Parts: sequence; C-alpha cells; structure tokens
Amino acid sequence: MKELTSTVISNRQIASNTYLLSLECEMDPYIPGQFVMVKAPSPGAFLRRPLGIMELKEGVLALLYKTRGEGTIALSMLKEGEAISVMGPLGNGFRIEDEAQAVYIAGGIGLPPLLSLYNKIKKGNFLIGARSEEDIPFDYIPARAEIATEDGSVGHKGLVTDILSGMNLKKPNIIYACGPVAMLKKVADISRHMNIPCQVSLEERMACGFGVCAGCVVKTVSGNKSVCALGPVFNAEEIIW
Amino acid sequence: MKHAQLAVDLGRGLVLKNPVMNASGTFAYGEEFSRIIDLNMMGGIVTKGLSINPKEGNPTPRVAEAASGMVNAIGLENVGIEKFLKEKLPFLKGFNTPVIVNFFGNSEEEYVLMAEKLSVDGIAALEMNVSCPNVKKGGIQFGRDPEVLGELVYSVRKKTEKPLIVKLSPMSSDICRMAASAQEAGADALTCINTIPAMVIDEKTKRPVLGNITGGLSGPAIKPVALKIVWDVSRHVGIPVIGAGGIASHKDAIQFFLAGASAVQVGTQLLVEPFCLPGIIEGISGYLSDHGITGLKEICGKLEI
Repeated sequence: MKELTSTVISNRQIASNTYLLSLECEMDPYIPGQFVMVKAPSPGAFLRRPLGIMELKEGVLALLYKTRGEGTIALSMLKEGEAISVMGPLGNGFRIEDEAQAVYIAGGIGLPPLLSLYNKIKKGNFLIGARSEEDIPFDYIPARAEIATEDGSVGHKGLVTDILSGMNLKKPNIIYACGPVAMLKKVADISRHMNIPCQVSLEERMACGFGVCAGCVVKTVSGNKSVCALGPVFNAEEIIW
Repeated sequence: MKHAQLAVDLGRGLVLKNPVMNASGTFAYGEEFSRIIDLNMMGGIVTKGLSINPKEGNPTPRVAEAASGMVNAIGLENVGIEKFLKEKLPFLKGFNTPVIVNFFGNSEEEYVLMAEKLSVDGIAALEMNVSCPNVKKGGIQFGRDPEVLGELVYSVRKKTEKPLIVKLSPMSSDICRMAASAQEAGADALTCINTIPAMVIDEKTKRPVLGNITGGLSGPAIKPVALKIVWDVSRHVGIPVIGAGGIASHKDAIQFFLAGASAVQVGTQLLVEPFCLPGIIEGISGYLSDHGITGLKEICGKLEI
C-alpha cells in the first residue's frame, strides 16, 4: 500500500449517478477485486472512500463510482488537472481460475471489480442487475452481457439472480459476484445448490481500509474478518449470511 | 541551532524518545502499520484495548461519518490477553519503542487480574481504559464516579509495578475530581480524552447508522473539547497528562502541549492518513527549534493568557 497524489485526467458521467474517474497514478499492479481509498475534496467528507479498481493501465487508474452522499458528490465535482490522494491497492482480490468458464454477477455498484476481472479473463457470462436502464453504463460493459432491471426498462424484468437460477447455460465452473448483500446471499445460495465455487466481493462501511480499526468486519465460519484487509473477496461458503 | 530534546518522562521509568504515540484502537497490534511506517520512530505504541477473553465486538455498521470526525461502535473487538501475549507481543517487542497495553475489564477483579497478567517483560506500561462508551458493563461506568475510579485504580496499582496510565472519559460531571482521584490512587499519568458518546441518524431510512445505535465521536470535531479538558486537568493534578482527541498535525500537538499535555496520542487521523506520524514528530521538532525551545518541558502548560 502506498499513498499517492494523483492528477485527474477526466471525470465524467457515464450513467445515472454513475461517474468514471481517470487518474494519472503510479500505483503498484493490482489484482481485480482490490480497491483504493480516496480522499474526497470536501470538508464534509472526513473518511476516505473505498472504490473498487476498474482498470490500471499505463499509469492511468480508472474508478467507477455512484454518487451517494457528500463524499461521492464531492468526487463527482473533481475537474481535470486537480489532485486527489489515493491509497492502494488494498485488500485481497479475486482468485482467478485460469480455465474459468465463469459467470460474473454484478449488482448496482458491484460492477467495477467484475469488469476488471472480466477484462482480464475475457471469458464467461456477464450478468448485470440494476434498477433501471439509465443506471447502466452501456459503453463499458461486455457486449454480450445479460441484463436484469427491476423496472424492466431493459433486459429481464426482475432480479439478476433470476437469470442465474434460470440459466440454460453450460454449468459454470465458478461464480464471481459483487453487489448488495441481499443479492450476494441469493447468489451464495444458488451456487451452493448448484455445487459451484463462488467468490463474493463484499461491501461494508470502512474507516481505515487496511485492517487496523476493525470497523468493517464480517462474520465468517472462522470468526470476524476485516472486509478491507482479509477481503473484500471471500469464498461465499465462508460467510455467515 | 541545537535540535530540541523531544524525550519525555511520563513517570515510573516510562521515558519516551518523543511525545507522539498512537491512540488505542487505531493501530490494532502494530503489524499493519509496521509495513508502512517505521515503528521505531514512534514515542510509544499503544495496543488495541484488551480484555481477559477475546471479544467479538458490536454488529456492523460500526463506523459512521460525522462533521470533521467519525462515530465508531467497534465494541472493543480484540484477541484477548492470552493470544496477545503469545502472538502479538513478541512482534511488538522487536521494536525499539515502549509498548503500552490498553486494557479494560467488566469488573474490578478482571481489571486486577489483567494488570497482573500484563506485568511481564516487553510491556512498558499499562493504560487502563475506564471510559469506552461502547461496552455495556464496566467501561464508562468506572469512569464516571471518582470514588469508584479511585478504588479501581488503587486495586490495580497494588498488583503491578508497571507505569499505570488512566484514560479518562470526557463524560464526567467533574473530570478534575476524577483525575485527582486517579492520581491519589496511584496513577502515574492520565490520558485525556476518550471518545464522546454520540450517534448518527440516516433520515432517509429513519434508522441509526450504527448497528449499536450509538457510538463514540472522535477526530478533529472533538479537539476543542479535549484541549479544554487537558487544560483543566493538567493544572489540577501533579502527574503527566497525555493529550488525545482530534490531533491531526504537529500544530494540534503543540496546542495540546501549551494546554498542559506532556505527550500526545494520534488516533482517528491515522485511519485517514496512516503515513502522518513521522511528519507530526518532525513538525514538533521543527516548531521547538524555530522557537528556541530546547526541551518539551519548556512548552508544557505554557499557554499565555
């Protein structure tokens, strides 16, 4: 982990409340699933924000985020040339299966780490769950991604887990998932029934991001674990949902 | 110009090479920080608060943001004293920095038993937490009544030769009496302050943000409160006061020294800026040199009014 001062290359809206921030950043190589802690330039944002890494290529770090509160709104106002403090890469990423005939399930803002993973493996089925069509950054998702929206504005009307449970595909050999806890719990259930290994990337309110404050623990079969330092990626069967 | 002398004596042989420590609960047991900063340059390392048995802590969410600070309800999750002594202390002993163990109990007996068990080589001092707002039994209850606190400190004092620091709560109707009581009972130093009981509510969900409903406020938001308490307490007692509460820079630390602190603990800032300690230590040294001050004692309590 390093602390870096990075310069904004671009920061633009790519879907409803969804932004893509590109930073000039000399960060060490990362594993998909790892994240960074960024300091939002707002007096109202005291703690750093954990953001999943979408891409790091040739010194450019791409972060995709949704505006939710004061911190992310302040982030969305960053202009080209401004500086921002970034710490990372942090946490443990996905364990990649080389031959993976994988299924990726992204719900809401769970998209960046899975895009990062998919772009590395470039194989498998990509499923996306969102509230509505306008929430989906179409320019950045895999061309053949299957989509579920709660309002039915695009793709399957309902939950992304419906697609997973009704899949007529060849049985996948691994499931990677990131999104709201309710979605992950369902994915974990389905993967257990299908007897497919499943890795989930969890989200929890964090303060430090590197395992010292014990703010973001999750209950696992071997006790509390820090999501930031021992996750955010866990084997689904490890988690006590 | 000669470099200012940064060493500080907190009593009973506890001498720190500089006055900057971390605050308990923001440093775990040092392993993570050892990978990013040199622990040898710190004045002291304060462990996460330990209990006799391992403790799971509170349900999540455990942290929430506040204006210029955060509210936490970690609930003193810790590995327990046995695992600490076996697995964490050997690592911490490898550094040339005094290890100060923060501990708490659910009863006087537990405090006493822990003090005995912690009186081993490699532990430089004990910091009694009598003021955590996040535990139902013990914790803050000991920290509100001067007589109860005095008895507790006296009982612990009898069982250990280690330097004994008592960490006080800001939530006392008369913190100077609490401080005096701790001193009379044998405390060697006092830490002022712990977090301030607080809560954060989400108006959209109409629910408290924290799983525990309430927590403790820390960070720059509490600095003025901490400064005032250090100012009051340090003039009221004859033992060193360690200032804690919202210290984020060397300027904050200097303000605490002026108010009467002999040393400082940096807490919440470490979560946001984990690389900040070396800069704070250098900044203090630079300030003292710039002002022609040769030792910390010359600035301690020297607020000009």
